[in-house]
Amino acid sequence: MPVLASRATPMAQPRTTTRDGEARIGSSARIRGRIHGEGNLVIEGHVHGDVTVRGDLTIAEGASVSSQVVEAHALTIAGELEGEVNASGPVTLAAGARVRGNLRGSAVAIDEGARFSGRLECEFDLPPELGGASRTEGRARAAGRR
Amino acid sequence: MASTVIGAGITIEGEIATDEDVVVAGTVRGKLSAKEAVTIEHGATVEADVTGGSLVVAGSLTGNVTAVERVDLQSGARVIGNVKAARVTIADGAQFKGNVDMDV
Repeated sequence: MPVLASRATPMAQPRTTTRDGEARIGSSARIRGRIHGEGNLVIEGHVHGDVTVRGDLTIAEGASVSSQVVEAHALTIAGELEGEVNASGPVTLAAGARVRGNLRGSAVAIDEGARFSGRLECEFDLPPELGGASRTEGRARAAGRR
Repeated sequence: MASTVIGAGITIEGEIATDEDVVVAGTVRGKLSAKEAVTIEHGATVEADVTGGSLVVAGSLTGNVTAVERVDLQSGARVIGNVKAARVTIADGAQFKGNVDMDV
């Protein structure tokens, strides 16, 4: 991105210019509406509406997201999320995460201290001793808290 | 450091409200209000009413603008809408269509 020409004005401070596809919703920001696009997104604030990104989505600690559907590649949640999650990559619920809704991802990790209420859907290979020869769709029902 | 950055590939349709800085390099449709500086970078598209502490535009903006401090339309900016701020600059090379109100 082109750097903004610094001007001899008191308010024009030098600022970080964005790298392509880099986006962050700051902790004091509130968004009502739809967010979509390419690239990665970090949410530290509050979002009410659907989020669809091609890249990785991080819902940071202290953030809250309430949507119908959240779509991303890899998804890391340390904040609050309510809604259906559709990730093409791995989903990680970090300690402190509070998630209500159904989760779908290539892999799902729930850390100690995360709270999750909903259904998990992920595809994985069962180890041979469990009779899994090929890709099996594993469906686990998980409710309550961990 | 900007607190909220809407990257080049990102589109937000709806309402954004924040107490901190906002940098838009992507697309925003709806409404954008910040208490601090708002920067609309070259290549960004904003179709929204914008309020902020101060506003720097180098991209495309359609909508009415109100800033507490100042509004700077930089070279390459394309702005359609009314601008309301105590101090307004329009750089050579900026396109602007609308009214300016400096009686704040």
